[in-house]
Amino acid sequence: DPDAAEASENPSVPATADDRKAAAALSSLETHGGAEDEESGRKKLNVDADALGKAMRNLEIVAGENRGGAKGKEEVKKEEVKRVKVEAKDVVLMVEQLDLSKLKATDLLKAHDGDPIKAMTAYVTAPV
Amino acid sequence: MPQQLSSKEQSLFRQVIKYYESKQYKKGLKAAEQILRKNPNHGDTQAMKSLIQNSQGQTDEAFALAKLALKNDMKSHVCWHVYGLLWRSVKNFEEAIKAYKFALKIESDSIQIQRDLALLQIQMRDFQGYIQSRKTMLQQRPQIRQNWTALAVAYHLAGELQEAEKILTTYEDTLKQTPPKSDIEHSEAVLYKNTIIAETGEFQRALDHLEAITKNNLDRTAVMEMRADYLLRLDKKEEAAQAYRDLLARNNEYRAYYDGLEKSLGLDKSDKGSRQKLNELYDSYAQQGERIDAARRIPLDFLDGDDFRKAADRYLRRMLTKGVPSTFPNIKALYSNSEKKQVIQDLVEGYASETVVNGSAEKQSDGETSKNFHPSVYYFLAQHYDYHMSRNLVKALEYIDKAIESDPSAVYYNMTKARIWKHYGNLQRAAETMNHARTLDERDRYMNTKCAKYQLRNDENDKAINTMSKFTRNETVGGALGDLHDMQCIWYLTEDGESYFRQRKLGLALKRFRALYDIFETWHEDQFDFHSFSLRKGQIRAYIDMVRWEDELRDHPFYTRAALSAIQVYLLLHDKPEIAHASLANGVPDMDGMDANERKKALKKAKKDQEKKEAEAKEVEKKNAAKKGGTGADGEPKKEDPDPTGSKLVETKEPLEEATKFLTPLLEMSPKNIEGQNIGFEVYLRRKKYLLALKCLLAASSLDSENPSLHEQATRFRMTLSSLSEPLPEPISSIIEKNFTLLPKS
Amino acid sequence: MDIRLLRPSDIPHVQQANITNLPENYFFKYYMYHALSWPQLSYVAVDVSRPKKTPYDPPKVVGYVLAKMEEEPADGVQHGHITSLSVMRTHRRLGLAEKLMRQSQRAMFETYGAHYVSLHVRMSNTAALHLYRDTLGFKVDKIEPKYYADGEDAYSMKMDLSYFREEAESSEDDAEAVD
Repeated sequence: DPDAAEASENPSVPATADDRKAAAALSSLETHGGAEDEESGRKKLNVDADALGKAMRNLEIVAGENRGGAKGKEEVKKEEVKRVKVEAKDVVLMVEQLDLSKLKATDLLKAHDGDPIKAMTAYVTAPV
Repeated sequence: MPQQLSSKEQSLFRQVIKYYESKQYKKGLKAAEQILRKNPNHGDTQAMKSLIQNSQGQTDEAFALAKLALKNDMKSHVCWHVYGLLWRSVKNFEEAIKAYKFALKIESDSIQIQRDLALLQIQMRDFQGYIQSRKTMLQQRPQIRQNWTALAVAYHLAGELQEAEKILTTYEDTLKQTPPKSDIEHSEAVLYKNTIIAETGEFQRALDHLEAITKNNLDRTAVMEMRADYLLRLDKKEEAAQAYRDLLARNNEYRAYYDGLEKSLGLDKSDKGSRQKLNELYDSYAQQGERIDAARRIPLDFLDGDDFRKAADRYLRRMLTKGVPSTFPNIKALYSNSEKKQVIQDLVEGYASETVVNGSAEKQSDGETSKNFHPSVYYFLAQHYDYHMSRNLVKALEYIDKAIESDPSAVYYNMTKARIWKHYGNLQRAAETMNHARTLDERDRYMNTKCAKYQLRNDENDKAINTMSKFTRNETVGGALGDLHDMQCIWYLTEDGESYFRQRKLGLALKRFRALYDIFETWHEDQFDFHSFSLRKGQIRAYIDMVRWEDELRDHPFYTRAALSAIQVYLLLHDKPEIAHASLANGVPDMDGMDANERKKALKKAKKDQEKKEAEAKEVEKKNAAKKGGTGADGEPKKEDPDPTGSKLVETKEPLEEATKFLTPLLEMSPKNIEGQNIGFEVYLRRKKYLLALKCLLAASSLDSENPSLHEQATRFRMTLSSLSEPLPEPISSIIEKNFTLLPKS
Repeated sequence: MDIRLLRPSDIPHVQQANITNLPENYFFKYYMYHALSWPQLSYVAVDVSRPKKTPYDPPKVVGYVLAKMEEEPADGVQHGHITSLSVMRTHRRLGLAEKLMRQSQRAMFETYGAHYVSLHVRMSNTAALHLYRDTLGFKVDKIEPKYYADGEDAYSMKMDLSYFREEAESSEDDAEAVD
């Protein structure tokens, strides 16, 4: 009996029916192999192969469709922010003074034209 | 150089993996060692062995072996993947991600490694990385619906709503036929798509889509709620009104439905012109059922004058006749209006003065003469006069004694008497009275809980845990307290910690507050498995709600309360380091009035007491560990606590750094909590982070410019700045000068 | 008092209500498992008649039902199961347990096609037995020996959910009549 063998190896088998349910639920949350995906794929195979192939070819196009033409305001702003140059000593100052990670300090500086005083002032006076 | 295995050993190696996956660790180790006997430097086998060791709690050995495996086989994706799994298990996600990416460079087709990387990316909220991983997984296995949904989720969480919707639509268009009505995955996926459409603000399109999918959707309540919401947003009031009536026909105890109906009918509680129609509306719902509370209670919010008096009289008589114990909690919110408070007081005082004969004469419509009425009236009045907005503790005690006289075994009455004593400040009497109440129903855990709480308020920690032990699993490691840790009993750990803090038993206080910190860490970590589980189950809307909530997890008052207390302890340890050196178990004596010899003597005695207590605690721990196999509730091996009294915690060399660990989530998640801002100032001032101290002052000022702590702290800030031993860097001082305007400079 | 669907953010409060009232307790992840596997089935009773204290006031959960679908039913019949049900002692006599159960049961029927719902109750718990048997209409299916951690036996109880089908048919007839 595999259950008996398991029980002997795993003395922590819960004492009550209620506990066994909780333990079983916890186990079902975990994954290790691709076996479940295989099963799921076989079970749910309800797709038109031709349509799927077409969908896959369009995937990149679909995902980028809204970016191909006019870029959103958000996107333009993000790209502009990326180009701002920051000085290492300013990053160090903000990490030291504001307890920020380097990444956050850099982002904050970039959002304020690389000006540490602007950046730190904005951070300190941010509304709650 | 990698060693090659014979076919027999390769088969054995696959067995090692299977044993690991099915948690048969001993068998897995045995098989791995069998391979290693002939192939001592086989990296993959060493890696799997280390994984198993780690699962058995041997973390240090596991890491050492994993590194050796990598040394033996640097180009093995198995070794790198295992190394990543080890880092993941100790929650160093950044190192884990690096290892996974190494593994993928070697084996780009590995679905398992790609999945593990994706899970870490979503756990870390690296949405762009998650999008890329999910795209890769979709391209590898496009026939699996989960992979489409997962990519849509990635886009959605990244805020890219149109892409998310398009991914879902693209998959739907590949279906040969609509899935059967019972397909919950499909039903939920289309509803999920509908929520995305609504999130864009396009409610007409969301409504149209919803109409198209309603007939076959399994979540009827959600569909009805969403439809009603869209109709109202689109100002289609007649249809919205009907939709909310349909919802109320299914659940007439949900205020959101009543609110929706009101808005659909163009009614407004704050508009006097609406009152008549509102009253008729709620009366019509109250008529539908004797047990409907919402329709009877809501009018008490918007009525005033004689209308309020009449409605309140009906409501109170009905509830008090039935003897509903929650009557007072259910109406106390009305006391913010002093007129309503007075009306209620007058009404119920009037009931009390009615004679018993009159009470008997006023039979209820159902023919029932209530023996509940007068005791309930006394009980109500006791709670009324106990409540801080209407407090008169002499009267409260008088009325509760009357109630108890009528029914000495009534648990509620005795509980409330304990509460009144608490508000008198007599915690001893309160605890004793609550224990008496507990003895009236010893099988009820609620009473047991309340009793333990009152004992903790009276700093009777040992009595409290003994009380709790009547309902806990005492065979677990750590006994009753261990079980409360396992079951994440927040309230007990908080109250116990605060009690120790009051007694200046700082080690034990920190012990409890650290346990609370760890519970929140666990709750955050608990989401990890659901990143894959929820995709398998297909309940995506619930998953999105969970992810969003987890991002704000620590705004919970549970966390706030523990953090404030823990930070206070650390501030005390920083300001009075001699307390830490003493590491006291029995509380800190007041040493301010002692001379040097007396202090030395007191600390020495305290240290001796502490060592004795620790020895006792270790004995208890050993005894408890021996009782059971030493496992936690989830079956994982549980270690004996090496520091049961928190002496190591109290001896920290860096109390302010420890305080900051508690403080950062507090300020980030609950910035509107002024206590948090006040205590943040204290920490940052001591850490000499003057900009952050200023940030807390400005935040506190914006929340409440009259806050007394704020004024005192602003003054202290100015004085500190004036007396710095060396000047601040120029940018810092200029920011402070410009923005610290709470006080004049002189 | 609101009767509404359980949300993830309610879980800490449901967990505390559970450990306040009942000896059978669970860790957070088990509640999460219910909320993410069958989000339609679990409900909370929330006291909404409370004065607001802070910007971060938590919900005052005074009752809950934690429910699931049996994943591998021994009898092969699709059915729901009540993992836990509790109402704070201070909030009894309002019919909250009945209201919570009814919402949960309807969802079991509508969303998962449940034929019946089951639960366990301590044989000594006369109050809960009265609620399930007399108020709600559950029937004792069998006795499960030493079901609870302290060794107490449980009644395993069941309740048929076909009354929702009758209700649904009646409501459809009304709709057709109106049309």
